[in-house]
Amino acid sequence: METLTHTAAFLLEWNVILAALIGVTWGIMGGSLPGISPSITMALLLPFTYTLDPTSAIVLLASTYIGAEYGGSVPAILIRTPGTNAAAATVIDGYEMNRQGKAGLALGISLYSGVIGSLFGLAMLMTLSGPLAQVALAFTPMAYFALGILGLSVIATLSGENLVKGLIAAMLGLIIATIGSDPVTGGTRFTFGSAELLGGIEPVMIMVGLFAMSELLVQASRRGKDDRVTSRPRIQFPDWPLAKRLIPAQLIGNGIGTFEGVMPGAGGTIASFMSYNEARRWSRHPEEFGKGSPEGIAAPETANNTVAETALVPLLSFGIPGSNSTAILLGGFLIHGIVPGPMLFQKSGEVVYGLYAGLFTAAIGQLVIGMAMLPVCIWLVNRPRPYLNAFIFALILSGIYSIHNEAFDLGIMIAAGVAGFFMRMLRFPFLPTVLGLVLGYLVESNFRRSLVLSGDDLMIFVDDRISLALLVLAFLFIGGSIAKRGYELLRHRPSSTFSENAES
Amino acid sequence: MNKLHLVSAVAAVVWAGGLNSAQAQEYPVDTVTLITHSSPGGGSDVFLRELSRYLAPYLGANVIVENVSGGSGAKAMAQLAQAPADGSMFYATTPTFIYTSLLSDPEYKYTDLEPLVNFFIDPEVIYTSAKSEFKTLEDVIQYARDGRGQWGAANPASLERQALEQLKAASGVNAAVVTHEGGGDMMINVLNGTLQIGVGEVQEIQSQIEAGELRLLATFSDKRLDAFPEVPTVKETGYDVVVRKFRGLAGPKGLPDDVVAAWEAATQKVLADPKYKEAYEGANLRAEFIPHADYVKFIETFGAETEGFLKETGVIE
Repeated sequence: METLTHTAAFLLEWNVILAALIGVTWGIMGGSLPGISPSITMALLLPFTYTLDPTSAIVLLASTYIGAEYGGSVPAILIRTPGTNAAAATVIDGYEMNRQGKAGLALGISLYSGVIGSLFGLAMLMTLSGPLAQVALAFTPMAYFALGILGLSVIATLSGENLVKGLIAAMLGLIIATIGSDPVTGGTRFTFGSAELLGGIEPVMIMVGLFAMSELLVQASRRGKDDRVTSRPRIQFPDWPLAKRLIPAQLIGNGIGTFEGVMPGAGGTIASFMSYNEARRWSRHPEEFGKGSPEGIAAPETANNTVAETALVPLLSFGIPGSNSTAILLGGFLIHGIVPGPMLFQKSGEVVYGLYAGLFTAAIGQLVIGMAMLPVCIWLVNRPRPYLNAFIFALILSGIYSIHNEAFDLGIMIAAGVAGFFMRMLRFPFLPTVLGLVLGYLVESNFRRSLVLSGDDLMIFVDDRISLALLVLAFLFIGGSIAKRGYELLRHRPSSTFSENAES
Repeated sequence: MNKLHLVSAVAAVVWAGGLNSAQAQEYPVDTVTLITHSSPGGGSDVFLRELSRYLAPYLGANVIVENVSGGSGAKAMAQLAQAPADGSMFYATTPTFIYTSLLSDPEYKYTDLEPLVNFFIDPEVIYTSAKSEFKTLEDVIQYARDGRGQWGAANPASLERQALEQLKAASGVNAAVVTHEGGGDMMINVLNGTLQIGVGEVQEIQSQIEAGELRLLATFSDKRLDAFPEVPTVKETGYDVVVRKFRGLAGPKGLPDDVVAAWEAATQKVLADPKYKEAYEGANLRAEFIPHADYVKFIETFGAETEGFLKETGVIE
């Protein structure tokens, strides 16, 4: 209650409101450019925060984060390119809906799910920071390993009609994740003497290549004229029956997003994939997933916006940034001489209440600014194919180049695009690759760290209760999914398994 | 998402404070560019931007900061090594540039640069959870002697890990030195009791110390810290390990004498500036000016010691 009154006072401060609105607008723009990650969008703003008062500076950066996490879904739906890592799960059904001429509705669903995610996450941040911080504290390296395995178990259901192809695709992702520095010894692995590979390959380069570049190649290799179903450049929010249908998916997104957000290092990508998977499991229309299911947009988009809020829990409570984006936010605090951590509320309580008010404003601002911007985006993708594709190509090249200012990265992206082109031809799914790539490092580093802790005794994963519980859950998921496949095979039923790119 | 210490970001060229400052003395160039491999908001970035606010009038030139991320400093070192040695460009040095040079064997290494002067030494401390049973460093060592210890270092290739390996060798106990992906991960593992101790810089754990959640056991510095006079040094405890995490600048080879002299004078003046002093002491940085000639030797020795350590632990051949 006290928190509420303190926070409400800041809702009348023009500088906080202005900072939130500028931040969220900038964030949506940055997030919707493929290759420009939320952290880069924030980093670009960081120098401008030097001269601002601390509260406005923090609000500006945090609102940018919120906006960017939402913005990632726009290109995911419109041009099959996740603007952020966490929007990768939105590509599946978002782009399908777009192809069916329902881009306006898809964008409307992602926008309002994002706002719900933001508001829910903010409520969690304001009321349950303490308990949630305790959850984060209880996670040992063993538990993180188990969490990563739980994330990877989703592959069993995301593999489409052929589990073996899914596993091969996942292995590919895991292999790419080993490039760079060894997480335990610090030595270099598979860099072949190249300084550019030292930091590993950013998942975004592979994702943009697999999704966007391969799509451009597929379209370039297609004969005939432009036979797209174009969407009307208008944002459409779901009607009541559809909105009601989306509620379970959004609740799943809220729950998983809250949990994953408070884990330093886990983050939005796992949250959106797991939410997508769970939404499908509990949906009344699981057969629609992969073919343009509105729930398939609502769940991951709610989740990644919830994460953007609850990721502030470890930052504010311990001063620990859980992701690149929150690391930049930490920088923003430090520049203004504020040290996040257990003493933050006593020392700079006002800044925190200002931040809450700013985040609330940003969530509302996200809705308004999204509604104003999206029709323009739909209009843009309705332009004739050759112009649009040239524009997309320029966009992804400049986006990828801007990550490290390295032409080398463009090569990685294009190579991933060519690989993606052939994977599509041979009907290999992309999502297991993305999951393997994102989770590989988390799983490997925590597995090896646990073994260093225990002196190479594997029982440490059983002795740690959280780890044991998560591992059991993961095996139940995998076992259940395989049993279902087997059962359908025996009954010679048409497989109801999910298919990622049904048509191509 | 994976490697927090390699946060990638766009190089943002930013004009920091002191643009309009009058040219107080003669410096060969009008504008000095300070380069860091850390991304905006990172350790060296904050150091340079804070410094650039106060340095300009003392140096007699405009000071701007540029982020050249990529390859943990390999790219920044390459840019520096090929820059003209006229005092227009310098690179913020921390032990990272030596580690990167040794570990990844880039085309241009720390030996291709000329150390200029040192500004600070960041004190590295050993800490434990306030709830733990360990009251002194000796308790921790005894625990490891009786069974097996678990000690945390922030990154695999880091000075912190080197310090712990040295402590382990000096005390002759059985302890696992567990590496992490940054100080945050490690702090959680100290707080939840997975690790007995962690090593880090004071400013990283300041808030937890004030809140009484972490307890300092010892410092790796050669003298006790002004802010924590009751915390003994590791050396006092009986283990001869001293760690000096330096923060200074380096330039291209062959820096002219007038540039070096201008920096030596300006560095001492800016470190004495009351406003700057308040800012850096608040961040728990210890000013330690090392003049050019000594700094060159210091880096040389540091590099040789680090190389020895990495070879001993089998990280490099």
